[in-house]
Amino acid sequence: MKKWLIGILLSTFILCVLSACGGADETSSPASDAAETNSNGETEAVAEEQESGEPVEIEFWHAMSGPHEEAINEFAERFNSEHDNITVKPVNQGGYNDLEQKVMAAARAQSLPTIAQAVTSVIPEYIANGFVAPLNDWMEDPEVGLSDDELNDYVEIFRESSIWYNTFYSLPFSKSTRVLFYNQGILEENGLDVPSSWEDIRHISETVTGDGLIGMGFENSFESEFQALLIQMGGVYIDEGTLEAQFASTEGIEAMSLMKELMDEGLARTAGEDDYMSNPFGRGDVAMYIGSSAGIPHVASAAEGNIEWSTTVLPAYEGEAATSFAGNDIVLFNQADEAEQRAAWEFMKFLTSPEITAEWSMKSGYLPVRYSAEDLEDYQAFVAENPEYLAGPSQFDAGFFVARVKGSDAVRNILLEEFDNILVGNKSVEEGLTDAQNRANSELENQ
Amino acid sequence: MPTQPTWKNTLKACLYLLPALVILITFNLYPIMKSFFISLYTDYDFFNDVVYEYGFGNFAKLFQDPNFSKAMLNTIIFVIGVVPSSIVLSLAIALLLNTKIKMMGFFRTIYFLPFVTSVVAVAIVWGWIFHSDYGLINYFLSWFGIDPVKWITDPVFAMPALIILSIWKGLGFNIIIFLAGLQNIDKQYYLAAKVDGASAWNRFKSVTLPLLSPTMFFISIISIINGFKVFDEIFALFNGRPGPANSTLTVVYYVYQKFYEEWQFGLASAAAFVLFLVVFLFTVVQLIIGKRFVHYH
Repeated sequence: MKKWLIGILLSTFILCVLSACGGADETSSPASDAAETNSNGETEAVAEEQESGEPVEIEFWHAMSGPHEEAINEFAERFNSEHDNITVKPVNQGGYNDLEQKVMAAARAQSLPTIAQAVTSVIPEYIANGFVAPLNDWMEDPEVGLSDDELNDYVEIFRESSIWYNTFYSLPFSKSTRVLFYNQGILEENGLDVPSSWEDIRHISETVTGDGLIGMGFENSFESEFQALLIQMGGVYIDEGTLEAQFASTEGIEAMSLMKELMDEGLARTAGEDDYMSNPFGRGDVAMYIGSSAGIPHVASAAEGNIEWSTTVLPAYEGEAATSFAGNDIVLFNQADEAEQRAAWEFMKFLTSPEITAEWSMKSGYLPVRYSAEDLEDYQAFVAENPEYLAGPSQFDAGFFVARVKGSDAVRNILLEEFDNILVGNKSVEEGLTDAQNRANSELENQ
Repeated sequence: MPTQPTWKNTLKACLYLLPALVILITFNLYPIMKSFFISLYTDYDFFNDVVYEYGFGNFAKLFQDPNFSKAMLNTIIFVIGVVPSSIVLSLAIALLLNTKIKMMGFFRTIYFLPFVTSVVAVAIVWGWIFHSDYGLINYFLSWFGIDPVKWITDPVFAMPALIILSIWKGLGFNIIIFLAGLQNIDKQYYLAAKVDGASAWNRFKSVTLPLLSPTMFFISIISIINGFKVFDEIFALFNGRPGPANSTLTVVYYVYQKFYEEWQFGLASAAAFVLFLVVFLFTVVQLIIGKRFVHYH
C-alpha cells in the first residue's frame, strides 16, 4: 500500500515536471513530423496547379484584431473579387507574440503561409534562417512589377527599412512613429505654446507640475525616446554595418541624463503600473507624453469626455529633429511555389497601393506608406477632421529606424533591464549604459 | 485479489497502461529528451534541423550568464515565499470549512474560484489592487499611516506582489485537497482522543496532522513543482516584462525570453534542462524526508 502510493506520487511528479520542461520544446517535436507529410504531399499538387493556371489560394497571417481585422478582411474580399484566379485568406494568429511564435513553428514544420505580417526587427532572423523570399525579382518583373515612379512613391524611410543587403525583403504595412501628445486645456490655461524642443518640454513641465499633475510622460519601454534623443544629439545606437552598439557614448549619457533628470525632479514619469501612458494622459494626470502614433485611437477613447488634446511632432534637441519609425511589414515566405508567390505579390502590391494604404490608415491609425496617399481627397478630408493624425506623416523626413540586426531583441531586453537599473538608482547613467553596451556587444558578436 | 505475475497478466497490464503511456511518451518523455539533446547543440540550424556542432557550450554560457543565476535565485525566493504560507493558510481555511458552518458549499465555491479564473483576468484585477495611486492595498495601508508602496514598479516590492497574487490564486486547489484529506480521517480517532481528554490543539497535533501527512506531502510536492514553473502570473502582472529591473525574472521566464524572444534555442533548452534537474533533486529529497514523516493509514 505504502509503496503503491509513493508510486502514484512519483508518477504525478514526473508528469508535472516533464510538462514544465517540455514547454520550451513544444514547437519542435510535433512540428518535425508534420514537415515530412507536408513536403511530400503538397509539392506535386502545386506543380500541376502552376502549369494549368488554376486558381491559387494563399494565406495571409496577421496579428490584427477587432476593427483592424475587419478592415483587412474587407480588403481581401475586394482583392478576391477583382482577381478571378486568386483567393486570399487572411488568418488572425493572435497578438504579435503569438504570430511570431506560430511563424517560428510553421517554419520548422515547413507549413508557413504564403505571406505574413512581421515586426521589422524580427525579419533579420527570418532572413538569416533562410525562409523569406527576396522581392526584387517581383518588383522588377515587367508584367507585375513596380515602375520607378511607383517605387519612389513608397515613403523613403519605409522603403529603406525594408532593404537588407541591397535587397527588398518586405513591404511596409502597419507602420507607426513616435509623436508628442499634449493636453490642450492645460497648455492654454497656463498660456503656453505647443512644445517643439526639449527645452520647451522642461519649461512646460516646470510650469504645470504640481497638485497631482505631472508635466511629461514616457512609456515604460522608452528606448525609442532614448534613441531619438541620442540621434538628435549626434550619437549612434547600433552601427548596422559593423554590428556594434555605441550608445554608451557621451551623447548617450547626455540623452539618458536629460530624461532621468526630468524624472528625478518629479517633472516626468513613466507609465509604470498603468502599462501604457494613454490612460494616465486621458485621465489628465500628465500634460504631455511621447508615444506611438498607433496609440491615437487608445488615447481618444481614454480622453473622451475628460480632456481636449492633440499631437505634434517629436521635440527637437538644439534644432535637430529625429524620430523613430517602427512597426510591421509584410514578408513573403519562400516555401510557397511560384504561382503562390506571384499571387501574394499581387496582394502585397494591392495592400500598399495608395488607395488601400490611405483607407487602412484612416481605419487603423497606422501611417500611410505611400506619399500619394496623403494627397487623396478622402485622406485630406480625414486629417482635416482629425488633425491629431497630421503629426505622424509630417515627420517622415526626420525619420530614422534602429539597426535591424539579428539579436536586436536580445539587445532590447538588455537595454530595458539596464534602464530600470538606472531609473531605480541601482546604477549611475554611465554605469548602466556601459554595462548595457558591453552586454549588447557580446550578444551581437554571438549572432 | 492478488494473482501470480504471469506473462499474460503483464501483457494485460501493459495494454491498460498503453493509452496513458502513449500520451506521456509523445508529449512529455520525447520533448524532454529532445530538449536535452538541443541543449547539447552548440551550432544548430533549428529550422532545417541540422546540427553542425555538439558540446557543452550552452551550459557553460548559461552558468556565466548573471541573468540565469538571478532567475534561479528569484525562483527559489518565490518558492520559499509561496509554498509554506500557502500550505498553512489553506490548511487553516480547510479546517474552518470542515466544521459545520452555514453556507459551506457557498464558501467552498468562493475559495475555489481564483483557481479556475484565467490568470490574465486575475492579474489585471490585482494590477488595480496593487496600483500605487488608486489601489486598494495602498488605501488600506494609508489607514495605518503607511506611505503608498509602488508594488508593481519598485524592484523591491515586485516579488512580494507576485507572491501575494500567487498565494491567493493557489489557495483554492490546496483547500479542496486538504478538505478531501480531512474528510478521510475516521471520526473515531477524534472520539477516542476526546475520551482521553485531549484538547483541541492536541487533537489537531496528534490526530489530524499525522493522518493528514499523505495529503500534506502531496500538496507540498505539487506546490513546489508548480512554484518552480511560475510564468503566466509574471507575464500578465508585469505586462510582458520580467518585473522592474528583472526583479521577477524566473527560470521559466528566462527560457521563454531565450527561446521565443531571442531565438537562442540551445541556451533555452539548457536552462529548461537545468530546471528539470533542480526540481527532480528537490523532489527526491522530499521523497526521502517524506518516508520518515508520512503515515499512511
